[in-house]
Amino acid sequence: MRRDLRPVLSLAVAFLGAAVSPAAAAQSPPAPPTTSQPTASTPPVTPEPTEAVPADSPTEVATEPEPAPDGPDEATPREAPPPAPVPEPAVKPDKKPAARGPHPHDPNSPPGLADGFHFGSYGRVIAGGDAAGRAGRNGDIVARGSRLDEANYAELELRREDYWKSTGAYTRIVATTAFANPIFHYNGQFAAALAIRNLYLEVRNAGLKGLSFWAGARMYRGDDIYLLDFWPLDNLNTVGGGVGYTFKTGTELKFHAGLNQPTDPYYRQTILRPPTYNQFGQAEVAILDRQKLVSSVKLSHVWPIGASGGVKGILYGELHYVPEGQREVENKVYEQVPKDKGFVGGAQISAFTGKRSTYVNLTARFASGLAAYGELNAPRQLRPDRLTTGAYEMLVTLSGNWERGPFGLLMGSYYRQFRNASRTLDWDDLNEGIVIVRPQVWFAKIAGVALEASYQAQQRGVATEAEPDLFKPVFAQMGRFGLIPFITPGGPGAFQRPHIRLIYLLTVRDAAARSFYPADDKFARRGVDHFIGVGAEWWFGSTSYFR
Amino acid sequence: MQFRLLAFAPALLAAAGCLHFDTLEEPVKVATHAKDWREAVIYQVLIDRFDDGDDGNNYLLDRENMARYHGGDWIGLENRLDYILELGVNTLWISPVIKNIETDANVDGYHGYWAVDLTQPNAHFGNLDDLRSLVQAAHERDMLVVIDIVANHMGQLFFYDMNLNGVPDILLQGTGTRPQGTPVPPGFDQSGFTHITEYDPDFNPGGVQAFTSLGPAGPAPIIFPFDPKSGHVTPMPAIFQNPDVYNRKGRTFNYDDPQQLLTGDFPGGLKDVNTTRCDVKQAFVDSYARWIELTDADGFRIDTVKHVEREFWRYFTQRVRQRLAARGKHKFFMFGEAFDGRDELVGSFTKNDLPSDEELARENSCDDGPELTGDQLDSAFYFPQHYQVFRDVFQDAASTDRIANLWANKTVNYGTVAPADSAGVAPHKVLVNFIDNHDVARFLYFARARVDADPAFAGKSLRDKELRLRAMLQNALLMLMTAEGIPCLYYGTELEYRGGNDPSNREDMWRPYPYLGDTAAPPAFDTTGPTFVFTKKLIEMRKKLAALRRGDTTVVWSTSRTGDESDAGIFAFERAGGEAGGNYALVVFNTNQHHDSRTAFDGTTMTTSAPAGAVLVDVLDGNKQYTVGAGGALDLTLPPVSGMLLVPQQDV
Repeated sequence: MRRDLRPVLSLAVAFLGAAVSPAAAAQSPPAPPTTSQPTASTPPVTPEPTEAVPADSPTEVATEPEPAPDGPDEATPREAPPPAPVPEPAVKPDKKPAARGPHPHDPNSPPGLADGFHFGSYGRVIAGGDAAGRAGRNGDIVARGSRLDEANYAELELRREDYWKSTGAYTRIVATTAFANPIFHYNGQFAAALAIRNLYLEVRNAGLKGLSFWAGARMYRGDDIYLLDFWPLDNLNTVGGGVGYTFKTGTELKFHAGLNQPTDPYYRQTILRPPTYNQFGQAEVAILDRQKLVSSVKLSHVWPIGASGGVKGILYGELHYVPEGQREVENKVYEQVPKDKGFVGGAQISAFTGKRSTYVNLTARFASGLAAYGELNAPRQLRPDRLTTGAYEMLVTLSGNWERGPFGLLMGSYYRQFRNASRTLDWDDLNEGIVIVRPQVWFAKIAGVALEASYQAQQRGVATEAEPDLFKPVFAQMGRFGLIPFITPGGPGAFQRPHIRLIYLLTVRDAAARSFYPADDKFARRGVDHFIGVGAEWWFGSTSYFR
Repeated sequence: MQFRLLAFAPALLAAAGCLHFDTLEEPVKVATHAKDWREAVIYQVLIDRFDDGDDGNNYLLDRENMARYHGGDWIGLENRLDYILELGVNTLWISPVIKNIETDANVDGYHGYWAVDLTQPNAHFGNLDDLRSLVQAAHERDMLVVIDIVANHMGQLFFYDMNLNGVPDILLQGTGTRPQGTPVPPGFDQSGFTHITEYDPDFNPGGVQAFTSLGPAGPAPIIFPFDPKSGHVTPMPAIFQNPDVYNRKGRTFNYDDPQQLLTGDFPGGLKDVNTTRCDVKQAFVDSYARWIELTDADGFRIDTVKHVEREFWRYFTQRVRQRLAARGKHKFFMFGEAFDGRDELVGSFTKNDLPSDEELARENSCDDGPELTGDQLDSAFYFPQHYQVFRDVFQDAASTDRIANLWANKTVNYGTVAPADSAGVAPHKVLVNFIDNHDVARFLYFARARVDADPAFAGKSLRDKELRLRAMLQNALLMLMTAEGIPCLYYGTELEYRGGNDPSNREDMWRPYPYLGDTAAPPAFDTTGPTFVFTKKLIEMRKKLAALRRGDTTVVWSTSRTGDESDAGIFAFERAGGEAGGNYALVVFNTNQHHDSRTAFDGTTMTTSAPAGAVLVDVLDGNKQYTVGAGGALDLTLPPVSGMLLVPQQDV
């Protein structure tokens, strides 16, 4: 029995909107690629044809698990060579994709599995600068601010997907290269800042329907706040492996563990020693060579409401651990470095109507100890015993989207506290938050105009003389207002891409915000700043922003 | 509907932004915490070497190099206040707090004496909150805090462009291997090389001059290098960006030349400031008084006072007292360091001799403040005693009459009238006594050399020698804690630290030596070591006996004899009278290092002011009793290198 809970859902959305609070952000992880809308859930693998859905149909709704294809072919002798992949059964190309329904380039849906090679991409390129012609740069004071002045970035994803008839399993090999600024046509340097951001193999329905495994290097994450380019609950860049199981109820349980070693003396120290047996030269020896274990567990479930809506709940946790080690402090003098650990606990509650990407997400996350510094960072400003105990990051976020007719409103917000492990308050100890809204209107099916406004504030742990003899932690505020006319060949929709757009961004920063920049920095001098640019943004067929 | 509510978001954010930071957001309430500075027992802390309480300010540390930052900070000291309290100390003297040149010639400004910005704290030590927290925590334990300051010079802010090429040139010339006994060529030092640096050229009374291959080229311009990484940044307050406020005459090499002494750069390229200028005087008063207003600290230890004109000290001390008194802080204590054994010179900064009317009128023209008087410092760092008593007598077993002679001149060489608005005690009664400090080798360093060279210890074990060293140190500590004035203990002395000259005498407190006679180091901040326990007991007795704090001093035995004579090495003095009421203490030393000595010689016995029949007990030796004879006579025999602290039986 399923009741029509749409009125309840509306109330829930309203409630979450009312509970908006200063939002929070993660502690400056490496700029990840952007993503599209927050998906309510990754749809289970289905070998069934992806049905075209009517316009305005939900793309976030978890579909029922499909019957598993035939199990492993028991007649296949064990000695037989591995079965060759065969075309995925029953996947029928959409002959007539609906106007807004999923099609191969639908930005609102994760790509389904289909035999063969596939290509996907995310990218943004921008040409712009300030009113004086100086190069543009990110002007936010909070860790996650407006993405309108973000630098160029692109991902190119190549996948190989196969259905293995003999076992009923599906495999997906994903290789994603990412390019960061600068690019050749800007600086004339024939070089690239290149990274491998995905390189993994995933096996689904691995002997048991709903059971999946993966191993390799992977961007491993959940829902994002598009306006802030921010995955608030779970966003791991990891090398390791994981296992997941989707219950018949749609409940999904995922566990993963990975290892990393950020480039930092906290993890690795090499020294020079003479080679053995009186050989010439020198040999590099790793004295300290410890890795960080990062593991996560995630439990999520979607409760359908009405024909297309639903509520999604997520519980999430992480464990971070580094073993003890030894470091050389001077020639042949060693010191022990202690083992350390950290934890993350978090939750998300989401409500979505299933129509035109309307949703609201509320997340809360608390990270302690080693985990407070993020998965790819080395902890700084430790306790005197060189432990991270006492460090924490507390994060609350609220984000959402609403569309009706030619209008839409996208918003994001967070409030964040970070304290490092050292007792004293210093620059890195902070409270910060942002509220950002982007109302937009589409017209002529192919164009639109968006306005963007954000208020961001940050309180740092350094004291400033508020008045004679009265010192307070510095409190900085900033307002940003943007005008973004755009062309959207894919039609209306907050998460419809690609876009070509013009950007005007006005920034107003108070004296405290200006004080965050060193002397002679333009941002230290300007209370008002202008950014003008033209750029493009796209995403299609990529897995990275749906996992 | 829900989106209309977003309008409240900024307000919520602002409210959230005001979430509590655990910081001192209230103005400091400046108050008078000192009661009587004669009650003080000072503990000198080199902040960088005491304890690392905050990893957050650990920047470019090199703990294996004594000339670099090691990571100690104000939080580290605060964390260890209970250790210091356990010792009994009630006053902290901490390193200069202001921002320093980061590093120069591969030496860091870890000590704090290389100022570049008088308005900012030294970030290696913490931030203003940390400093305020330290002072507050000290006050909560009834401890006072004295901040070290420098007014003679700034750090290595500029170089003299002597060859006009715009870059700082440093030249080492010569072989360094001049044959012994050959004459020293002009311009060369004993090792046979000449060292020319545009950061630190020798003194020239006409100012450092430029030259080219064709000859003199006039006054050398000065250039302020700008290198944020090494801390060569814009000096503050802004007046110190003006080349005219510096004397620019080069490095002092002859300390007996008054002109060099007062206007020469301090060795190491520390730029001498023209402290006769009114704007300089005012800048130093404003800068340093501000640190007291920001922290509520209780006093200044002032560096290199002999390199600064007395007119500056008159202005500085009086204006600081007046300004702080107006804020509610009285009995602010300022003692100056003149690194010099000349008693008259050291004492001259505590006297209130008036200059000529003409001179005074000139000095008064600086501002509209109250008329300046002859008042100067409250006290002086008693360097003459360091040399003549702790070095000569307690290390080298010189005759004890030099102690008596030195002390006899206190009222001659030092001020006898407390300055107005000052600590309220005549300077000669509150001289700051010390055994050693951060500028001289630790007592045990040279004492060891003495013992090693003593034929009596030839063939003796290392342990025997070290036990003798401990006896020498503890005898010196007995003198330190019982002599009139304010005892000042250099950190680590209580743990038998023994480093040589700077920087070897600036060891880390978290890496203690083995105790003398032992081979394994104790835990850091151990409170069970023999000298810690001994020092603690001395401080307890000082607190218990008013005579040791406020009593007058009467030397009852001293001797010029250092040989086999019966009283060789004996020194004894009474502390009684004055403001000590009826309290009485008798301190007796045998500083002779080879034989027992008596308080008697050639038929004469020491006489004291104690009444005949009075029973005195030695609180350092199990309360062993001694009865005073007729006429106050007291014939005591002490083993070599030992001391007694005798007090009336009823006071124990």
